[in-house]
Amino acid sequence: MLYSGMWTGDTMTNAYELIINILTAIGVYDTIFGVFKSYGMEFVLKLIIVLVTLAVLFGFVLVTVMFLTWMERKVAAMVQSRYGPMVTGPRGLLQPVMDGIKLIGKEDIVPAKADRFVFNLAPYLAFVPAILVFVPLPFGESLIISDLRVGLLYIIAISALSPISILLAGWASNNKYTLLAAMRAVAQDISYTLPLALTAIAVVMLTGSLSTVDIVNAQSGTWFGIIPKWFIFLQPLAFILFLIASIAEMGRIPFDFQESESELIAGFFTEYSGMKFAMYFLAEYAHLFAVSGILVTIFLGGWNGPVLPGIPVVITSLVYFILKTYAVVFFAMWLRDTVPRIRIDQLLNIGWKIMIPLALLNLIVTGFLITAGVMR
Amino acid sequence: MSEIAFLVISALTIIFAIMVVKSDKLVHSAIYLAGVFIGTAGLFLLLKAEFVAWVQVLVYVGAVITLILFTIMLTRKGEEE
Repeated sequence: MLYSGMWTGDTMTNAYELIINILTAIGVYDTIFGVFKSYGMEFVLKLIIVLVTLAVLFGFVLVTVMFLTWMERKVAAMVQSRYGPMVTGPRGLLQPVMDGIKLIGKEDIVPAKADRFVFNLAPYLAFVPAILVFVPLPFGESLIISDLRVGLLYIIAISALSPISILLAGWASNNKYTLLAAMRAVAQDISYTLPLALTAIAVVMLTGSLSTVDIVNAQSGTWFGIIPKWFIFLQPLAFILFLIASIAEMGRIPFDFQESESELIAGFFTEYSGMKFAMYFLAEYAHLFAVSGILVTIFLGGWNGPVLPGIPVVITSLVYFILKTYAVVFFAMWLRDTVPRIRIDQLLNIGWKIMIPLALLNLIVTGFLITAGVMR
Repeated sequence: MSEIAFLVISALTIIFAIMVVKSDKLVHSAIYLAGVFIGTAGLFLLLKAEFVAWVQVLVYVGAVITLILFTIMLTRKGEEE
């Protein structure tokens, strides 16, 4: 009786059940289960399956991050009419591997006046939430680690942990630039979490559920046979606000006050080197992918797409989700290479004076339309 | 199984709570306090109250700890003078 089915909705099988279904289809599940049952250790088998799903997720995130760093450089190169990394591997695809080896080989420096405990803890506090956000993210039909009943709230709650790591890193480095960068980053994070949550609530009002799977299912089908029932068409304002707020949450240009190089050296992780720097890097790109995935889940129909005959839905849905997510990621990278950084006072003005009132207005109008029976 | 999880989580929570009081630096206290709040969220999860658990994480760990850290860092450190 390990908590299977306890925290999850029953709308869709999750990755745990998918593994059991695959093992049963091969015909080995009963044998394995019998072996564990003969020792009275069924829960060990369940733990192993859960660990396997988590390991697959972890590997997926690592590979995605490596690909994203390559893609970032390639997109920047495309925008600036140059080649980008070309030497290592085909079209420079192995460049992230070399970067990783370089970072592992670097000396791990802790500043003499730094608070060692906090300094060493902060990268982990950045890295763990970045991985945890992926748990309720539906990659495809039944490709979800756990369909939490409050998935969207979980995502917002876990995202709210990132300012702590930034503050701790900035403070523990004992460097005025890192502290300044941390203050800025947290001010930005806090002011942009509000429109993020408020716009997400509008979608929750339409769906009537916080579960990511329910949100995706509510977006299946089409209007008039052509227009897909994605929430971007019902909530265009919310989509734009969510996009801007999520780019600000990720701390990317034009909102990259966490690391504005020209003013603050490299932001709050200036003093980090080696693997700890790599962990911040990993967390940043994992966050980029996760936030794009959340945007796709909420507004762009998740893994919904035209069903192709002869191909299992598991595969097509995964392909649709990945394609849509990479489209959003590409948009973020494109934006990074196109627009300049705005000023910090402009950033806070946009956040508090424009985006939050618009998000509240959107919320009121959505509530009114739902009550009037126009929407859904 | 549920009992073991309860014992582990509550023991950790109590240890963190003691560390909040015992640690020398305020920032360390704040980190341990975050641990206490996460432990409490874990206890809520064991009671099958997911919503309360994640609201606990969102409000207490996300907002209150950030506020406390911000406050500590904006004030002068006492031990250097």
